[in-house]
Amino acid sequence: MRIEKCYFCSGPIYPGHGMMFVRNDCKIFRFCKSKCHKNFKKKRNPRKVRWTKAFRKSAGKELTVDNSLEFEKRRNVPVKYQRELWNKTVIAMKKVEEIKRKRQARFIMNRLKKGKQLEKEEDIIEVKKNIHLIRAPHAGKAKQLEDKMVQKLQEDVDMGEES
Amino acid sequence: MARSRKVGSHKSGGKKKNISKLWKTKRRTKDLDQIHDDMKPGVAEKLLHQEVDYDIAGNAQHYCLHCARYFIDLKSLKDHFKTKVHKRRLKQLSETPYTQAEAERAAGMGSYIPPKKLEVKTQPLDEEMK
Repeated sequence: MRIEKCYFCSGPIYPGHGMMFVRNDCKIFRFCKSKCHKNFKKKRNPRKVRWTKAFRKSAGKELTVDNSLEFEKRRNVPVKYQRELWNKTVIAMKKVEEIKRKRQARFIMNRLKKGKQLEKEEDIIEVKKNIHLIRAPHAGKAKQLEDKMVQKLQEDVDMGEES
Repeated sequence: MARSRKVGSHKSGGKKKNISKLWKTKRRTKDLDQIHDDMKPGVAEKLLHQEVDYDIAGNAQHYCLHCARYFIDLKSLKDHFKTKVHKRRLKQLSETPYTQAEAERAAGMGSYIPPKKLEVKTQPLDEEMK
């Protein structure tokens, strides 16, 4: 028994589920649901369809290179049954799954950080560009000039008094 | 009265294709990975220089490798090279084909290897040109 992966969406296919298509050159394609099969028949490229795993990986949306991904593989060598090995494997699988989940979640959180940073930069630019909508460009200028004049006059008066 | 301008469908030629038939696996046209196999050096020459077959359009003498189509003569083949259909097909072929192995890698069985770019050019029309 083997849990196969869907050709289109990379989802798991449990025994008795989905369907298999054998092309006239003997190549086998397995599909987890009719949605995947229909899309295949329409000759869609899974890398271009946004809901597939292949899209998410090729577009950099998900963790692609990691050691935690190296455990699950198609190994075509049968292992002789050993009770101890089996027990340990089950424990290890749970541990690996936990680590994998954490790393994938962290990858996504880091990816989203970049967007927040860009958003902030964009906001600052927008405020700088459109500040004139809230505050007139010369607002407060007249008051400043007046203050300066008063100061200068005061200085002149002081100078006159001294001489 | 103004002529109705229907943009985006090439049905005006009178050749109406039935979509539901296109989506059946019966008489299925070649997939992109099959065309990638066809493009390999040994196979490509065989397909481009086929024997005369009276059952195929143009006696199987004018074949477009990338679109997997037969044309009736050299002129229509050349015209086809200039069309959007052909150019679009070249663009689709300019990546390594998708495989079950890639699907499994995407599912978390091993690290994912992103597809590589390939350079695909229209087949050369050598001695036939002269």
